Amino acid sequence: MKKQYAFLVDTELCIGCFTCAMACRNYYHQVEGVVWRQVYPLSEEIYPHRERAFLSLSCNHCENPECLNVCPVNAYTKREEDGVVVHHQEKCIGCGNCIRSCPYGAPKYNPEEKRAEKCSLCHERLDADLKPACVQACPTKALQLIDLATKQQTNQIQYPAGYPKMERLNPSTRFILPKMPKMVRR
Amino acid sequence: MASKKQTLSRRRFLKGMTAAGAAAMLPCRLLVPGTAQAAAFNPDEFQVFRNACPRNCYDTCSIKSYVKDGVLQFVEGAPESTFTDGGLCVKGYSYTRRPYSPDRVKYPMVQDGRRTGKWRRVSWDEAMDMIAKKILELKKQDGSLLGLGMTKYSGNFGITNYGVEGLMSSLGYTTRFVGTPCWPAGIDAQNYDMGNMWCNDPEDMVKARYVIVWGANPAWCSVHTMKFIQEAKRRGAKVVVIDPVFTQTAAKGDVYWQPKTASDGALALGMARHILDKGLVNKDFVESHAHGFNEFADYLRKNVTVEWAAEQSGIPAQEIREVAEEFATADPATIWIGYGMQRHTNGGASVRSIDALVAMTGNIGKEGGGARYGHLQTWGFNYNAFIQKQPEGSVGFVGAAAKGEFDLTADQKTNYSDRTVNINKTAQAILDTKDPAIRMLWVSCKNPFGQDFDRPKLQKAFDTLEMVVTVDQFFNETVANSDIVLPVTTLFEEWTVNASYWHYWLSINEQAIKPLHEAKSNLEIGAALSKKMNELSPGSCTLPTEIDGKEWMAKEFNQGIHDLFGINDWTDLQKGPAKAKLASSASWHDMKFGTPSGKYEFRSDLCAEHGHKALPEFKEGRKSYDKFRLLTPHTKFGIHSQFVNLDWMKEYNKEPFVYMHPKAAAGKGITDLDMVRVFNKVGEQKARVKLTDNVAEDCLLIYEAWFGRGSDFNVQNLVDDESADMGAYKAGAPGVAIHDQFADIERA
Ligand code: SF4
Ligand code: SF4
Ligand code: SF4
Repeated sequence: MKKQYAFLVDTELCIGCFTCAMACRNYYHQVEGVVWRQVYPLSEEIYPHRERAFLSLSCNHCENPECLNVCPVNAYTKREEDGVVVHHQEKCIGCGNCIRSCPYGAPKYNPEEKRAEKCSLCHERLDADLKPACVQACPTKALQLIDLATKQQTNQIQYPAGYPKMERLNPSTRFILPKMPKMVRR
Repeated sequence: MASKKQTLSRRRFLKGMTAAGAAAMLPCRLLVPGTAQAAAFNPDEFQVFRNACPRNCYDTCSIKSYVKDGVLQFVEGAPESTFTDGGLCVKGYSYTRRPYSPDRVKYPMVQDGRRTGKWRRVSWDEAMDMIAKKILELKKQDGSLLGLGMTKYSGNFGITNYGVEGLMSSLGYTTRFVGTPCWPAGIDAQNYDMGNMWCNDPEDMVKARYVIVWGANPAWCSVHTMKFIQEAKRRGAKVVVIDPVFTQTAAKGDVYWQPKTASDGALALGMARHILDKGLVNKDFVESHAHGFNEFADYLRKNVTVEWAAEQSGIPAQEIREVAEEFATADPATIWIGYGMQRHTNGGASVRSIDALVAMTGNIGKEGGGARYGHLQTWGFNYNAFIQKQPEGSVGFVGAAAKGEFDLTADQKTNYSDRTVNINKTAQAILDTKDPAIRMLWVSCKNPFGQDFDRPKLQKAFDTLEMVVTVDQFFNETVANSDIVLPVTTLFEEWTVNASYWHYWLSINEQAIKPLHEAKSNLEIGAALSKKMNELSPGSCTLPTEIDGKEWMAKEFNQGIHDLFGINDWTDLQKGPAKAKLASSASWHDMKFGTPSGKYEFRSDLCAEHGHKALPEFKEGRKSYDKFRLLTPHTKFGIHSQFVNLDWMKEYNKEPFVYMHPKAAAGKGITDLDMVRVFNKVGEQKARVKLTDNVAEDCLLIYEAWFGRGSDFNVQNLVDDESADMGAYKAGAPGVAIHDQFADIERA
């Protein structure tokens, strides 16, 4: 398998602190209302407590990216060397196909540019041997950069509850599930 | 231009801010998109500065700031610090927005009528003229400056910001609001038990085999410590979290206990009794290094049973026995005593009970162990900015005045002193103080309307003041209740130095960008006022009239600091933060305690002399005065009233909520996301409700925050100024029973 970078979200370590999300904004200064990385609390049906277990998600850098497939002007590329799905905003005509088609809601509409944009895995940082801004920021190392071409830990899963199962796209993000403490309550 | 744009990274640069000068004309819309074409990140394109978060947070992060064309582009954590390890928290990463926030106070402004919002811009000179004339008027009419009050706390803990106190001293003897809302009951408790508040290096928590986090929520309030707890857990330690709320930290523990609020003392004593019965007391510690253990043991045998503790706390006896035994047999074992659990009328007594539990198991003075609360070991600065001389002939207060938290003025022998009033009863103090009355108030590094208690009373009190001057970055509610607001610099615009009360790293704060708009540092504001005072009345202010922030920062260093941190001088810190050279990561490792007996004192006569029990006995909590207990702890998106108002933060945290148990809600006909009104004898607050069993049925929870423009949300509408049991001994005034509040709720 060729190199394919991916985010690993260890939800046992993740404390839902939103540091990753804000680190992204700190680095790219998205305009108001545009969020590339979001931290989603799991509902009580999935993890039996509100707002205490989270999925930190941005673009999944899919093996077969729907965004790329539907773009009429080839504004998307998937990098040969590491599988990063890059959106080239200067080519984008703002048709919104990618925004409508990505089942993970990763591409966002920038109302000022009138074009789409999304997480491109900080490839300009990767090229300088730095970690993505969100990964570097995560205080618990719950968010990591991994290469799917290398051997994975056995506890990693691809489709946890609450995360859309889109086998055709084969999204790259991997997850480790959270545990519940023993609870002694009144 | 187009071709140049192609080579820019995707990072959006802040347009039009190439250097100072242009700053005053900045448009509100600062951020413009670049292009998606990305060149590799090149650190050489940036000037990198060292900054430090000064926000009264455990973590006091060391920050690296990337500046280009005089504009702060982004921040990250300093990789040199093993504590922050290259990261910040969600608040820290929002800093890039803070200096450029369109909501900043940009110029000195005068409000024509408080709360009218009719602000007009004035020059620094005009503002200083108004203020100086008022000060001189007070002095003339009262014969002293005691009518000038100053309230300041932890909005900025950069050491040079003690120049605010310095400014007051340089004017004469004034009225000071002393004490601290945060942690005084626990400070006193640890001083009685051990002779100081001194905690282990948090990084050594990885060595613990058993960790109890008691009334702290590091997942939100000390994110960097969380990784050490998680590492301890990975190495096999058991993590128990005790909190009335199922917090994010609790969600990551092995065991979560939800006791009745304020029953912590009973729980700790119940555990202590069981350890005693099981013969698991550490004999060496209690015999060689402690004073009064036998009396404590007698007290336990006579007055405490595990069943009693279970009844008081709501935690089953079997559970108490199990955790007590595990704790006593794990080696080392530690308890992190949070600031939440001592914000009660019995808070100090509870902390003493928990200290005793750690001590009797021999975990004090041990690496990976410890009764961790806080420390001021690395705060040995000169406080040059703080310690200023009063003008010749100043008249002040005669009599006993309380010393503030840091007790910086030592034993100066003078005929006069400042007059001190309790910071935790700000409203009452303003209303009650006579001869002379407080007529003018100077507010800095603090947002009393966001943080002080009994907001309705505070407004009444402020309305009796003849002039209120507030130094701030944003138009918050305190500013709304002021006559004059002076714009103050953010951390990126000033020089200072920062230490932590939790970890052992020291960070320099460099001036990374020129102050925006017309902002001045607190020291520069002092200099400007001094200049005007001396113009109008020569000799009326001793503070220099010109101040070089960097020089004043340098003046805070001394040989003790150099030796402690292994640096030659402050410039070494420009290469990165430094950690104190510790003989051991354990506090009290040499078993030489600061108590009168030199030992750990289970029995403290000093404590008894201050009006408490000599032994860490159980103390009843405050009696309920309404249907639900109301908790108003910290949110993860802010520290007190800071950060939540930033537009960047609002992307992730749009509005305040009241959290309530579904069963309790059902009884009130309240459903999820209803608008509700929470009310009590103090006042009321409306917000949307979220139903969750993270809180107990008898609790309501609202996170404290200030949401900025267009929001009147304020939890201080619901919190009274009832005092905690302890705090007067070391902090100058007792703490506040912030979590001993009660309220009712209904659909709005
Ligand atoms: S997650 Fe969406 S935007 Fe990202 S690669 Fe897959 S389809 Fe494209
Ligand atoms: S920074 Fe890490 S711990 Fe915090 S929300 Fe993101 S992934 Fe979770
Ligand atoms: S608020 Fe605390 S954790 Fe966040 S940057 Fe400041 S010191 Fe660090």
